[in-house]
Amino acid sequence: MEDHAILANYTENPEVWDEMFGNGKIREHYENFVSAIENLTPEEITRKDEQAKKLFMSQGVTFTVYNSGEGIEKIFPFDVVPRIIIPSEWNHIANGIKQRLKALNIFLKDIYHQQFILKDGIIPAKLIYSCPNFLREMVNVDVPFDIYTHISGVDLIRDSDGQFYVLEDNLRTPSGVSYMLENRSITYRIFPDLIPKNNVLPVKDYPDHLLKNLMSLSDRQNSNPTIVLLTPGMFNSAYFEHTTLARLMGIELVEGPDLVVENHHVYMKTTKGLEKVDVIYRRVDDDFIDPLVFRPDSMLGVPGLYWAYRKGNVAIVNAMGNGVADDKAVYSYVPDMIRYYLNEEPILKNVPTYQLADPDNRKMVFEKMNKMVIKKTNESGGYGMLIGNAATEKEMETFKKAITEDPRSYIAQPIINLSSSPCYINGELQPRRVDLRPYALYGPEGIEIVPGGLTRVALREGSLVVNSSQGGGSKDTWVLGS
Amino acid sequence: MLSRVAESIFWMARYMERTNRMLRMLHTKYMSSQDEVVDFNWYSVLQTYSNKSEGEMRQIQNNSFLVLEHLLVDRDNPYSVINNITNARENARSVQDHITKEVWLCLNEFYHLIREEHIRNNIVNGDPVTSLDALIRHGMLYNGTVDITMAREEGFSFLNIGKFLSRAIFTIDLLTIKLKEYNYELTKHAEDPTWRFLLYSLSGYELYLKTNRGNLHSKLVINHVLYNTEFPHSLLYAVERLKRYFERLKTESSSESYQQIEFLIGRCYNNIKYSNVSENSELLKQFLLQTRADLFDTANLFNKYYFGKS
Repeated sequence: MEDHAILANYTENPEVWDEMFGNGKIREHYENFVSAIENLTPEEITRKDEQAKKLFMSQGVTFTVYNSGEGIEKIFPFDVVPRIIIPSEWNHIANGIKQRLKALNIFLKDIYHQQFILKDGIIPAKLIYSCPNFLREMVNVDVPFDIYTHISGVDLIRDSDGQFYVLEDNLRTPSGVSYMLENRSITYRIFPDLIPKNNVLPVKDYPDHLLKNLMSLSDRQNSNPTIVLLTPGMFNSAYFEHTTLARLMGIELVEGPDLVVENHHVYMKTTKGLEKVDVIYRRVDDDFIDPLVFRPDSMLGVPGLYWAYRKGNVAIVNAMGNGVADDKAVYSYVPDMIRYYLNEEPILKNVPTYQLADPDNRKMVFEKMNKMVIKKTNESGGYGMLIGNAATEKEMETFKKAITEDPRSYIAQPIINLSSSPCYINGELQPRRVDLRPYALYGPEGIEIVPGGLTRVALREGSLVVNSSQGGGSKDTWVLGS
Repeated sequence: MLSRVAESIFWMARYMERTNRMLRMLHTKYMSSQDEVVDFNWYSVLQTYSNKSEGEMRQIQNNSFLVLEHLLVDRDNPYSVINNITNARENARSVQDHITKEVWLCLNEFYHLIREEHIRNNIVNGDPVTSLDALIRHGMLYNGTVDITMAREEGFSFLNIGKFLSRAIFTIDLLTIKLKEYNYELTKHAEDPTWRFLLYSLSGYELYLKTNRGNLHSKLVINHVLYNTEFPHSLLYAVERLKRYFERLKTESSSESYQQIEFLIGRCYNNIKYSNVSENSELLKQFLLQTRADLFDTANLFNKYYFGKS
């Protein structure tokens, strides 16, 4: 480490896997990058860092925080040092995710049709029926090509042993893919030539793959089906992503009130009159999608959409009801699903998960709560979470009380030491914890995973929470070609 | 084009036209308030651009600073300039991918400009002209940015339809305010020197002088404001532009929608073009009311046929 001035203060933690360092030296796949930046003066790196911020601002890569009715634009913090993944690791990850998604899709079809997995006693029926995201409205609904999870973002973490673990399967409306694309385009600007020289695989095909999949879902015998992206509107924090994806795919960005259902067909209101819609890529949650069937107090969705969908007159991406498969309590059964449906051993491991509905588990977890992460089963974004080693006694007591009252809604996992990756902070490289969310597209022709993803980073020193709502940032993710 | 997108662009343009016209009008009014020996009164302006009760308006009608604060930067007045700009920006924000980045940035800056402390300070206890000048200049920047960056496609037509609709209504309103100040007594005030303030607020004084050789007379002023097609703020000019930009939508429209609005705009245009109301105050009053109603009907038909609001 002493050879490189920029790394002089980089401290290695023996209990944490570092993406760049192993056994006191730089890992081979980072050497090119380090040699490219080690001769830069701190001023030059700082300038690049500032340039990146400016580019994000001037290109409008922002999310909006609403305050007293007026929107304020903020940027999602970006770290200039990329996270690098070698081909063999990537293949392992990609195969693991494909296997997992295959099983999860069969599970969704099964759980909304014959329910063999319950009848064979692999998963307790109680767990499914008590899951708030199990939609009775989806029972016996046939979805095009039996695909439920067209777009998913599986969260992976790396423990101190260097192994990747699946932390969460996001199968509903995973977000962040626009940052994967934007981060790459910013890296082109601040480190010219570095990407081709390192043989980094491109991510820019994502919108094309997605569009191709969306088009293939159209029921109409029409080479040019109408595809729209349904957004909750500009007040949504991911609105930038919605506009970006719509622009990159050349499809119309619509809000609920732009659509009407007539005779179980969906139309959008244009200046020329009504135009039939074939495929909806929705970024509106299940609960809000149709006020006639789900939440009646919301107009984010479209009245009548559910029945148009049920009749097969419009395709909706992702399917409704996926929440039952990425529920945090159902999560612990995914390895069993893989064995049951595919007769294979899981390629990617789960983080050990304890159902707190089980009294023995509950007792064990309460005894060593400081070594556990407690999560609510149906929350995301880093909310409803307790990290044992950072919680106060009072917080623990509050959680214990809440768990005793409603054990089904909580799970516990041992604290996993997320791997660390170098970040440029205060003029030097410092290790910060990261996770990885690759985006998988499931179409009639199979599953495609764009080589890359979103590396989220906990920018606060020592923090393990990478969610953007909790002070997280992101990095460009390089998958190297073989 | 999605109805919602067309509607947002239309309203962005309407709010911006109102903003720009109001700034110019307030500038002129304020200057004339400094010019007059007699007590200057803002009542007729407040009547049109304020949400206050009559009593409240009477209370502030002689205090230029309070009136300007209320009409420029008062959030509680839905017709204030700051609310117009905010609304224009909110409309633009939701259609950012259909207007150019330059237009969006320009509007965004306009919004941040009017919220700056020095703008309010100058209005309330400094020199309001400084603030008004800065805002007027930014308004011109907006118009230039729109003109030079926007693609000449459907959205541009809706933008101009909104703009000229608002302009026509504004011209009618300003003339009405003036007539109210004279109590509709045209003969009595035929040569009143204050007619020129109407021309100032419509940026039309210079052209008037060139056309009429220094002869200030109500008939000439009214003809200038209503019928001079070389004057970009005249009623006929605005409606003629409205008609022209609407005709450009023909290929993008369903024939029923197009015919309905074409009929109304065409009738309104001809009613203006083939009228002669500059000498009879009763006729003039009726004419202004009727034309204003026609323009609002047009806007409602756009709601119905193009913006999907039946």
